Amino acid sequence: MNRIELTRNLFIKSALKNRHPQLAVFIVMLAGYVFAILAGLIGTPVGSHNFSIVFVWIAWWAILILVAVPFFGRGWCAVCPIPLPGEWLQRGAVLHPLDKKPKWLNLRWPRALRNIWLQNIAFLLLALFSSVLLTTPTITAIVLAAMLFTAIGLSMVFERRAFCRYLCPVGGFIGLYSQTAPLELRIKDKQTCVTCDGKPCYNGASTSLSANSGYGCPWDVFPGGLTRNTYCGLCMECLRTCPHDNIAVNLRPFSADLAKPSARLDEAFKAFIMLGSAMIYAGVLLGPWGALKDAAFYVGTSAWIIYAAVFLGIIFIILPGLFSLALFLAHRPSLKACLGRSRGVGRGTGLRTFAMFSASLIPLGLMFWVAFSLSFVLTNAAYILVSLSDPLGLGWNLFGTADVAWRPIFTSLLAPAQTLALVGGLIWSARMAQKAADESKISAIPVMAYCFAATVVMLWLLL
Amino acid sequence: MIRFISLVVLFAAGLAVAFAPLPAPSIAPQARTLRIDARQFAYSPSELKVNLGDTVTVQLVSTDVVHGLYVDGYDVSVEADPGQTATLTFVADRSGSFRFRCNVTCGAMHPFMIGKITVEKNDLLFRSVGLATLAVIGVFPLSSLLVERKDRALAK
Amino acid sequence: MKRSELVSRILITVAVIGAVGAPLFFWSQSSLMHARVAESGGWNPNIIRADVGAPLHLRLTSDDVVHGFAVGQMNMDGVDVLPGKVTDLTLTFDKPGTYTFYCTRWCGLNHWRMRGTIEVGGSNTDAEPAPAPLYVSLGLDIDAPHEAPAIPSQMPSAFRGESLIRGLAISQFINSDFYRVHSPYETFENLDQYPLGESQRWDVVAYIWQSNTTLESLANGKKLYAQNCAACHGENGAGNGVFADDLLPSPNSGGGGDEVRSMIQTPANFTDPKRILGASPALLQGKILRGGMGTGMPMWGSIFTEGQIWDLIAFIYSFQFEYQN
Repeated sequence: MNRIELTRNLFIKSALKNRHPQLAVFIVMLAGYVFAILAGLIGTPVGSHNFSIVFVWIAWWAILILVAVPFFGRGWCAVCPIPLPGEWLQRGAVLHPLDKKPKWLNLRWPRALRNIWLQNIAFLLLALFSSVLLTTPTITAIVLAAMLFTAIGLSMVFERRAFCRYLCPVGGFIGLYSQTAPLELRIKDKQTCVTCDGKPCYNGASTSLSANSGYGCPWDVFPGGLTRNTYCGLCMECLRTCPHDNIAVNLRPFSADLAKPSARLDEAFKAFIMLGSAMIYAGVLLGPWGALKDAAFYVGTSAWIIYAAVFLGIIFIILPGLFSLALFLAHRPSLKACLGRSRGVGRGTGLRTFAMFSASLIPLGLMFWVAFSLSFVLTNAAYILVSLSDPLGLGWNLFGTADVAWRPIFTSLLAPAQTLALVGGLIWSARMAQKAADESKISAIPVMAYCFAATVVMLWLLL
Repeated sequence: MIRFISLVVLFAAGLAVAFAPLPAPSIAPQARTLRIDARQFAYSPSELKVNLGDTVTVQLVSTDVVHGLYVDGYDVSVEADPGQTATLTFVADRSGSFRFRCNVTCGAMHPFMIGKITVEKNDLLFRSVGLATLAVIGVFPLSSLLVERKDRALAK
Repeated sequence: MKRSELVSRILITVAVIGAVGAPLFFWSQSSLMHARVAESGGWNPNIIRADVGAPLHLRLTSDDVVHGFAVGQMNMDGVDVLPGKVTDLTLTFDKPGTYTFYCTRWCGLNHWRMRGTIEVGGSNTDAEPAPAPLYVSLGLDIDAPHEAPAIPSQMPSAFRGESLIRGLAISQFINSDFYRVHSPYETFENLDQYPLGESQRWDVVAYIWQSNTTLESLANGKKLYAQNCAACHGENGAGNGVFADDLLPSPNSGGGGDEVRSMIQTPANFTDPKRILGASPALLQGKILRGGMGTGMPMWGSIFTEGQIWDLIAFIYSFQFEYQN
């Protein structure tokens, strides 16, 4: 297919291969991350004036969901500072690999947990408390610190980046949606990998052994087998280790990975979790219903328990249930007959079809998040300037922007932009559903109707 | 060819749905006074409806702490202390649905203290649903067109 | 170890220590005074020490909602204390003593509990004792019932009253010594020596009450009322402010039911003629100074100056009388 190899450009290639630029970004990110934790703990408890809330939930979130994920896939993971301290311990080095590794446990991750169910659970745990998390600096600080220390702890027990790959609540959906991104890391030639001796991209190569030294894939992926972006963290280690210059970073068409969707249930449910929580957030946080906000915010009350139950019910029962119904209808011969598209009995029923078809919800889910995030990011962007000058709420004015008045920006563009995102996502998902239906020889119409209905609900919630 | 034409027709229909002017409303504008109670973190009533051209006076009554009310799209705002009803008057001269929100920090959930005012009709919602419908229909000719092109490319 | 590795490790360490240490250092240097709603602890600190004549610098911030800061008995306009923002304030005290500072923006039912003290020490510690307020020197029982036995059939008008007093000698009523110790009803009774009908006498009472105050007093009283009283007593004085209902235990909270509810005093209704026309300014002064003793009515003695209280009282009577503008 039509791809442009970015690593053919020598400047890009050496910038990615060299460890120093990445490390420089890591250091800045880590300092910012630690500062965000501290700001949440000692800064003003007023969320809209605390660096931790403003920079995590407005600035970082905007960059992540509006830029990083749609255009760079797991680009955020490439610069995320969370694994840095743990890897320093695990590797005994921050730059080039040593010949002698420190003696940590270095266990394999348990086979039963080699999926993203833990990430699904971690995301849902945060999602159920999101109204408190999004507005309370101390809670945000505790969550940030917990993620950092869990990552450090897991680095000493398990090999590679166990936290990133199996636990990070954010990593799960970044991976899912990175399949839509127009950027990928792939091998150039399959045969080279087959004949490659020692597979240093997966096993690592220390400095004394090879001019191309680097760590074995921190994400526990063999680059030679990469077909999807989901679990490739774009850390560039394989680019550094490959002795055959067989790794490429490519520009490619959007959502290329979804042509051959995975049939994994953990990923399928991730799609429903993300689709559902975008809709629920749009209703609870941006809607005009005060009782819903109370229920979501006052954690532990009976109203909150009902809210949590409904939240989980929508995600695990209503959305997948209606989707199964759509698939059931799609298999009915009568529907295909009346459309004149009868092409024999549809094959591949059951969970496998369910999981494969749920991949067509990925573009729609991403666009739901884009539309939802646009609203609160544009509304609250002014806080970024304020917080930049006075990150702890101590009355500083570092850049002279501490007294910028709150005011939503681009309000007249917001609703049209949301419409474009949602309708665009609908076309994208409907097209995916149609491709999948053609392959399975069933009708695409019920799944397209499902996407349409979800889009209409989201439009109604946001506009 | 038919597919191509149907795509063009759908696109034209989409443009019409998105931009066609609506007939001007026939109801004469009037002056309205709406009392809105504000508490942490909700307005009551939280959904308002007025007609295009109405002169709207909002009486904001705070019932716990100091709250404000800012209307998106109109860029007007007012602030009320408990015991001191504040009024905000503006002419609803833009149709559509607008969020109004608290602009005085009033506690944790302050950024999400939101209400909705609909002036005349929520045009954009109807237009968007129309666009979504056309989009879903459009996927059929679009994908056959793409499949055809792919087949032709393969044949070469 | 290679030099680049060492440098990198040092850089990471310095960055992390810097990101923790620098803000911690500046944070420990800053001395903010925090405002929180009374339920979360009110002012922190709530006792401040200062010296006579020495400027007292305060850096105020709010941790939750909009608050305000002012020192009582100083006729001072409050400064806003905004969430996440810092307000700098410098105060200088001329006299030693214990001052009360308080929140000036309503921040909930317990707004008035948000108070603290400033202890101002100085050389002349023996400050002159404040004179006893009028209600004390009169020996008034401010909790005794004080209903007016008769009320006017229509709202008395100072304008009509003015046209009635021509040729009548009423100047003894227009001085503060008379006005402050008599209720409107007592004045109405005193007027029975004049050839006036009942409603005419009430109109003259309205005129007398208006003559004992000034437009500035009324305007100041109105401002004080809106800022401090209206949230419970209502913007129109009817005792139905936004917090009036909250002062009652809710009927389904199991807190004793109707009996308890009927015993709890609701905010006074200033539009009730029986209540207000039977109360003298001295009585109202007592109620404001001392507060409601267990009801939600705060004690204002440490907050308002005497002049402010008289202005407020003049304004409260305007719920009963039609004044000229």
